[in-house]
Amino acid sequence: MTFSGWRLKVGLENPFVPYLATLKTSTHLTPDTKLLSVELRDPEIRASFDYKPGQFALLSAFGEGEAPFGIVSLPQQGDNLEFAVRRLGTVTRALHELESGDTLGVRGPFGNFFPLGNYVGRHLLIIGGGIGMAPLRPVINWILQQRDNYGDLLIINGARTPQDLVFQAEFQAWMESPRTKLELTVDRGDESWKGRVALIPDALKELAPSPDNALAIICGPPIMIRYTLAVLRNSGFKDTQIVTTLEAKMKCGLGKCARCNLGDKYVCQDGPVFTLEQISQFLEQP
Amino acid sequence: MNLFASKDDLVHWLDLLLHERIVIAPVQIQGLTLFQPISKPEEVALDFDNTALAPKEWLLPPTETLFSVHKKNGETELVPATVERDTVIFGVRPCDAKGIALMDKPFLQEPGDALYWEHRARTALVGVACSQARSECFCSSMGTAPNDPSNVDILLTEVEDGYIVQVVTEKGEGLLLKDFVEYKEALPTPPKPQAVPTEGITAVIRKLFDNPYWERLADRCLHCNICAYVCPTCYCFDVRDYPDKGNVERVRSWDSCQSSGFSHTAGGYDPRGTKGARLRQRFSHKLLYFPEQFQDIACVGCGRCIKACPVNIDIREVISDLQRLEVKSGS
Repeated sequence: MTFSGWRLKVGLENPFVPYLATLKTSTHLTPDTKLLSVELRDPEIRASFDYKPGQFALLSAFGEGEAPFGIVSLPQQGDNLEFAVRRLGTVTRALHELESGDTLGVRGPFGNFFPLGNYVGRHLLIIGGGIGMAPLRPVINWILQQRDNYGDLLIINGARTPQDLVFQAEFQAWMESPRTKLELTVDRGDESWKGRVALIPDALKELAPSPDNALAIICGPPIMIRYTLAVLRNSGFKDTQIVTTLEAKMKCGLGKCARCNLGDKYVCQDGPVFTLEQISQFLEQP
Repeated sequence: MNLFASKDDLVHWLDLLLHERIVIAPVQIQGLTLFQPISKPEEVALDFDNTALAPKEWLLPPTETLFSVHKKNGETELVPATVERDTVIFGVRPCDAKGIALMDKPFLQEPGDALYWEHRARTALVGVACSQARSECFCSSMGTAPNDPSNVDILLTEVEDGYIVQVVTEKGEGLLLKDFVEYKEALPTPPKPQAVPTEGITAVIRKLFDNPYWERLADRCLHCNICAYVCPTCYCFDVRDYPDKGNVERVRSWDSCQSSGFSHTAGGYDPRGTKGARLRQRFSHKLLYFPEQFQDIACVGCGRCIKACPVNIDIREVISDLQRLEVKSGS
C-alpha cells in the first residue's frame, strides 16, 4: 500500500514496545548512582543484541516511564547489559528502587558509537566529570582489553566530592594497566582525601598532555565541557582531535519525537558521539 | 472520469459509509466546526470554511496508548495498541490533507511507527475543495492548492445543487458504495489565496539563524502552545506512563517545542533555554530542518496559527521579515 509515495510493509513492529528484561543486580557506585545489571529475557534477543561503546538504550521503569542511558558494559563481558544510573528524576528514582529479579524494559541499542578502530595507534586522553564517566567506562575497558593497539592512556576523572567518583572499584585495574595513568580530581575534598582538589579544566592545565598524535574524549556536565574545551584548544588540540558524547532529552530514540535535535541534527540518530569539529558546524550549539 | 453527486446522493452515500466504518466529519459544536464521529448524515456541516482543529487528531490522537503493561500472576506482558476499525475522514480541506501527507514522512520513515501506520492504512480521506479562500489562507505558496486532489482518496468540489466527485486512489474507489452519474463539464476555477514569499526561505533561515530577530519576535510570545495545538503539521510528542489499577498504559501525547521544559534534561541543562531559541526552533523546524530532511516545508498555509495566536505572531510576516532581513544583510 502506498501513501503519497511511501511504500511500506504491512505488520510493522511497534517500535515503542521495549524488550522485557530482568534486573540481575543493583549496586551503589556512589550515594546517588547505581550500577544496574540487566538481562534481556528472550534468549534470541539477548544473543542478537549487539552494541558498541558510546551507544545507548532507553530503560523503562513501568509505571514511571522511560529515559535514555549509555550502555556501560562491553558485549564481550557477557550477556548482561550494565547501566550507571544517577538518581535525578522520577524514572531514575524508580529504577533505583527496583530489586533483583524485578522487571524492566529495554529499547535499543540506539545512536552511533566511538569509532575506536579509527583511534588505533594514538595516545588517548579521556576526561570524565561526574556521571559523565558512564559512557567513557566502556571506552576505557575496550582500550585496556586491546592495550597494545593504542598509545598512552591518560584518564582524568573529576567529581564534586571523593564519594561521587563513579567507578572507584575499577580504579586499581585501570592504574595497573601498562602505559595508563589515572588522575583523579575533586571540587571539594574531605578529611581522608589526599588527592587533587581542582576543577577538571585546572587539573588539565596542570597535567598539560601533549596533543601530538593524541585524541581527547570528554564527557561531563555542559559547563565542565565548555571550560575543558577551551583548555584543550589552548594546548594545541584541534577540533578534529576532540570527541564528546552529548546528553539530550529524548522520548523515542527513533528520530520522530523531535525533542533531541540541535539544529538539523538528531542526537538520538546522528549522535550522541560527535567530534568538536562536527559540533562547531551545528546551527544550534549544545 | 469525474462523477456527480446530488446533495441527496451525498446523504445516501454517507449513510452507506456509516454502515461499514467510522465516519469523521465536520460538525458544529458550540460555534466551532470540529471533526467528530457522526452517527447520521444530517450532523455533517459541509458548509464550513475550515475546522477549528486539523484532522490530524484522528491519525495522531492528542493522547493515545502505545502499549499496555499487564501483570498476570507476577508475569509482565506488553500488549501493543492496535486500530480496530476502518475510518473515513469526510470533508478534509486540501491544506489539511497535505498536512497528513507531511506527517507521513517522519512517522512512516524507517523504523516506521506501527500505530500511526495502522491509523493511516485504515483511514480513507474524502476531501472537499475550497470554493473561497479566507484572509489567512496561503496554501498555494506551500505546495498545495484549494482544489489539490493529490493527498486525498476522493475529492469533492461543490457546484450548484451537488458535488463533483473525483476518485483519486484505489482506496477511494473502495469508498464508492453507490453509483454516481458522470460529470462532463469542466471543474470550476479555484479561488486564489494570497501569496507568501517562500522562495529560498530554507537558505535564508539558515543564514539568519543567529540574528537577534528571534529574541525580539519572542518577546511577546506567551508560550501558550496554541500554534502547535492547531497546526496540521506539528507532530512533536511526549511519552508518559499512566498507572491504572496495577496495569500501566504507556501514552503518547501532543507536545510543543514552545514549552520551557521541552528540551530540559534531568541534569538541569536546557540547550534551548531562551524564548527566542524556542520560537526559532518552531520556525526552523518548519522552514529549514523538515525541508532538508524531507524536501518539503512543514507548513500547509491553513492559517490556523495566525488566527489562534493571542499575540499576533504571524508565520506570513515571519517569512516576509526574514526575506527582508536577508536582502538588508546584503547577500
